[in-house]
Amino acid sequence: MSILLDGLVQGLQLALLSVGVVFVYGLGGVLNLAHGQVAVSGGLVAALLMQNRLPPVLACVAGILFAGLVALLLDQTLLRQAYARRGEERLLLGIILTLGLSFALDGFFTWRYPNVALTLQLGSPYVRMGGLTVRTGSLAVAALALTAFLLLLGFLKTTFLGKAVRCIIQNEVGAWLCGVNVHRARTLTVVLSGLLAGVAAVAQGFFSYLGPEMGTEFTILALIVAVVGGVRSLTGTFLASLMLGLVNAALSYTVGTYITWIVLLAVAASTLLIRPEGLLAYWP
Amino acid sequence: MNGRRLLSHAVPVLGTGMALAVVPLFLGGSPYGLRITSLMLILAIYAVAFNLLFGHTRQLFLCVGALAGLGAYASVILVRDLRLSPFLATALATVGVGLVGGILSYVGVRRGLGVLFVGIITVAVSLIFHNLLLGLRQYTNGETGISTRGLGFGLGETPERAYYVLLAVLVLSLGGYQLLMRSRYGLAFRALEDDELNAELSGIDVTRYKVGTAILASALIGLTGALYADVNGFISPAVFALGHVDIPVLIALLLGGMGTTLGPVVGAVGFTLVDELVRPFGQLTVLTYGILLIVLFLIFREGMVPLGIQLFLKLGRALSGRVPREAEGAAEGSVGGSESTQRG
Repeated sequence: MSILLDGLVQGLQLALLSVGVVFVYGLGGVLNLAHGQVAVSGGLVAALLMQNRLPPVLACVAGILFAGLVALLLDQTLLRQAYARRGEERLLLGIILTLGLSFALDGFFTWRYPNVALTLQLGSPYVRMGGLTVRTGSLAVAALALTAFLLLLGFLKTTFLGKAVRCIIQNEVGAWLCGVNVHRARTLTVVLSGLLAGVAAVAQGFFSYLGPEMGTEFTILALIVAVVGGVRSLTGTFLASLMLGLVNAALSYTVGTYITWIVLLAVAASTLLIRPEGLLAYWP
Repeated sequence: MNGRRLLSHAVPVLGTGMALAVVPLFLGGSPYGLRITSLMLILAIYAVAFNLLFGHTRQLFLCVGALAGLGAYASVILVRDLRLSPFLATALATVGVGLVGGILSYVGVRRGLGVLFVGIITVAVSLIFHNLLLGLRQYTNGETGISTRGLGFGLGETPERAYYVLLAVLVLSLGGYQLLMRSRYGLAFRALEDDELNAELSGIDVTRYKVGTAILASALIGLTGALYADVNGFISPAVFALGHVDIPVLIALLLGGMGTTLGPVVGAVGFTLVDELVRPFGQLTVLTYGILLIVLFLIFREGMVPLGIQLFLKLGRALSGRVPREAEGAAEGSVGGSESTQRG
């Protein structure tokens, strides 16, 4: 039962991470392979600020904002180059440039801050809730993730910009014709994805710890979710995250990490072969 | 005329071979120098294969490391556990890896996957392979890896012989590449590069050419992986990781020039030089790889070889006032030459 709960909370964290990948791909056709590194940059900033005796809450907020800033820089420099192209060329430029960036950031983090890690501890490690012992960290992550999602949904459903974003995902040219400023909406989305990645990094700090070398793992997890959930579907992403979180927790517990990874990757690869639009992409 | 044209195609390959053949003389028998240059040759062969895959048929196989690792582990385990002769084991590994590459390519072409999806699937394959190596501890010894001493041709003990064996493989693969480009494959490649749909419509069997290319290139990668196991004396999951093989190969090919004969070689030389410069700084190498990849792809898409040819043509025009007839072949030869002076 506690494994199930752990899996669900992990799924929520995964969702935070993958929504960014899905959004950026859906909006601009660029698969951001440096997404995990953006998250790690935020987490590291939070950790460094905490080392300098800043209160944890402030440090985390600063870290999340920093991740957003990194995403903004990424958008203004590398992604802009990719957006200037069309079709296959854009896809190719997008993955190669972000792949390069992911290596550059990974190298920088492990070189400059090899021993910095973000861990967040709450007053008491466990609470009892209706007969179950629950980690307080998990509760915090769940609260964090759900708040972030409510804000995101509110933004998408109620504001004009949110509508514009959904509009571009459906049809870029159509959006232009309706007078939507696609460039601005894209930049905004990339920044949003960075902020969410920062939240995911902070969540990782609640779970166990976030180290400078974890960017690639984050990126791969987000990629698996995006592929299984469908790279254009938000609900699909959400469901896929929860599912993969559960599968990950259950398998890690029963058969070990290596087989878990193999299963997850195989699921992603076969999804691409069977239903390239995503297994769970039925929902809008 | 045909004989002369054949010669103009053979000159760059043989010239490169000869330039690289004298390199060990300058190293004065230093084992470290021989090791680095041997690894450089291996990188060049991978890049030749990757050039066929990505440069000519736009199949972004981000599993060069996994294919090489498959060849290496297969050949070593066949010798160790089934007591096959190293020749037979290497041959089997080469064929096996060729088939795996062919299947990957076939699936990709049949499902009509674009560059992006082939890239993601092959990355997934790489990571699955990596985790398999770690998980199948009883065969692969997990993270610790396997010492290949006494399980191969013994190239690891004779570094100079290893260098020349690798050089022979490189020159043969460059020669094979030239022949391939002069065959119907070369024509098909040119059509594929322009527009795949148009190529298909004008009667080119796209599936056959793409899958055939993938089989050839993967077999070459598998063979090189098996040789690497022997030369290096040791294999582990880490030496075949994505960041350890695929990224250097991609950088080397972009640096030298995609779709050219000597690009992979020039790129491998350039990459090795840069790598040696930043090696003392530890983790900074990863940072350098990343930045190189971005800069090369954004600003230097052409690569060094086409640039060299252009410069040579301009020079020739300035000197004689007309375009030299065999300029292209001669220019490629001169790039091979200048690259050896750069090293010496």
